[in-house]
Amino acid sequence: MIQLADVSYAYPDSGRFVLEHVDLRIEPGTITGVVGASGAGKTTLAKILSGFIPHVDGGQLSGSVVIGGRDLSGLPLAACVSQVGLVIQNPFNQISGARYTVRGELAFGMENLGTPRDEMASRVAEVAGLLRITDLLDRSPYELSGGQQQLVAIASMLVLRTPVLVMDEPTSQLDPVGTRMVFGVLSRLRGAGTTIVVFEHKPELLHAHADRLHVLAGRRIAASGSPGEILSDPRTDQWGVSATRYTRAARLAREQGLVPAEAPLPVSFEQAAAFFGWSARTRPPSPEDAR
Amino acid sequence: MTRAQFVGTGSPVHRLNPVTKLVALLSILVIVFALPQWWVSAIVVVGVLLPAAVIARCGGPLIAVGGRILLPIVVVLVLVQGLTFPGGRTMVWQWGVLSVTAEGLLFALNVGARIVCLVLASVLLVLTTHPGDLMSALTEAGMSPKFSYIISSTLQLIPAFRSRADAILLAQQARGLAVPRNPLRRIGVMMPLLGPLVLGMFTDVEERGTAMEARGFGSTARRTALEAIPDSTAQRVARWVMPLVAVAAVVVPLVWEVL
Repeated sequence: MIQLADVSYAYPDSGRFVLEHVDLRIEPGTITGVVGASGAGKTTLAKILSGFIPHVDGGQLSGSVVIGGRDLSGLPLAACVSQVGLVIQNPFNQISGARYTVRGELAFGMENLGTPRDEMASRVAEVAGLLRITDLLDRSPYELSGGQQQLVAIASMLVLRTPVLVMDEPTSQLDPVGTRMVFGVLSRLRGAGTTIVVFEHKPELLHAHADRLHVLAGRRIAASGSPGEILSDPRTDQWGVSATRYTRAARLAREQGLVPAEAPLPVSFEQAAAFFGWSARTRPPSPEDAR
Repeated sequence: MTRAQFVGTGSPVHRLNPVTKLVALLSILVIVFALPQWWVSAIVVVGVLLPAAVIARCGGPLIAVGGRILLPIVVVLVLVQGLTFPGGRTMVWQWGVLSVTAEGLLFALNVGARIVCLVLASVLLVLTTHPGDLMSALTEAGMSPKFSYIISSTLQLIPAFRSRADAILLAQQARGLAVPRNPLRRIGVMMPLLGPLVLGMFTDVEERGTAMEARGFGSTARRTALEAIPDSTAQRVARWVMPLVAVAAVVVPLVWEVL
């Protein structure tokens, strides 16, 4: 379990707290989404959860960050990174620059941690297969597109098999197919017991895959709940969180008096179908019907 | 030494342990500089480097890359030393104040042969050794992984940052920046672009540091390697014998002189 209690943080020499009195509890073997506007402190929270704050970035951190019963501030960074994997936002910077092929890049972290050669090869093959990048293994990481680099960056952390995975906007450069594939892989990892914390902006995918969402706004956790509760909350615009297309359509319908004001807002397609009273009977005629 | 210069033919020379090739290069350099006669360098070039290039199927690239580096050096050397060598007495050719002496030409030949040897040996190493393999082999041989990382990342990140500079330039051109053809004026126009490039690089370095630590770069665990570096008893012996020969090339002439 991950537990943050009364965590506040200010970057070195800034004197301004970017997070204040953050309390967060994350159950093991779950996918937790953290949403919030740009500049809300998501990257900072990701670094706190992975131990890079205060070990690398320094600054003023108060409160406690406990993962698996151990306070991260009392552990050396090497011990933190063996517990928590961090996928950073910019895949270009996740690539080490020390290896000349994607295969070598994926193995880089395992080499540092002393993983036996045979195991490295099998983990690389397994993760490359999962993320469908096997055909890229012999190419240079710097010859890849942004989306391919992002898959390599994710794969480079998955091979380390840390019990906790913190991902800061891991699909920002991926196309819709790649994004769905990554979330599918995350769901499989959750099934295998990995705890995943994902900082994302894509509401449909968070609703489909996350067990719980937390909203970061005003330097603290402004709301927590199931994805359905958070994404249908009327305060999403105020938090800088995008609602799903179904929720937006339902809000519009409600504003125009097309649906009852008290009906709960839908988040998914299935809920929207029920909300709008769609059925095979009521759907608009299709070209096939006309024929 | 970029990856683009590596020619992967999979020959026996390519399959040698990179440290063996590096030790051979360093030994050759010591030998040809310890024994300054032109024929020593000629023997090394004809007897070692050219056969190795043929076996490595890199003869063409060796001549092409080596020639591009050597041609201006050799031309300048022959002209300057042939015409201005201070101890020259035996006139070979004279035209007005210009004179070429046999002593000057011999000096140019001795220096030039050593430079040819040095350049060809270095180029052959680059053509037949993947930089990644060289770094892995050096790390396995005891070099600090951090030092190895500095070299590897510099080799790879410079082209990456060049691409970023191009992107910044394109972005500025899209907003109406005119880039003149004159190189000096071009430099002047591009100076303001250095700010975003350098600031971006600082951010990148900080983020990359975080990403590297996340992958255990600071770990004190004994490192392993994905790819096995080829090695053999014969090569291990050669890595001792070659430096010994090089040391002998330095010591024997000194002892000879004293006796």
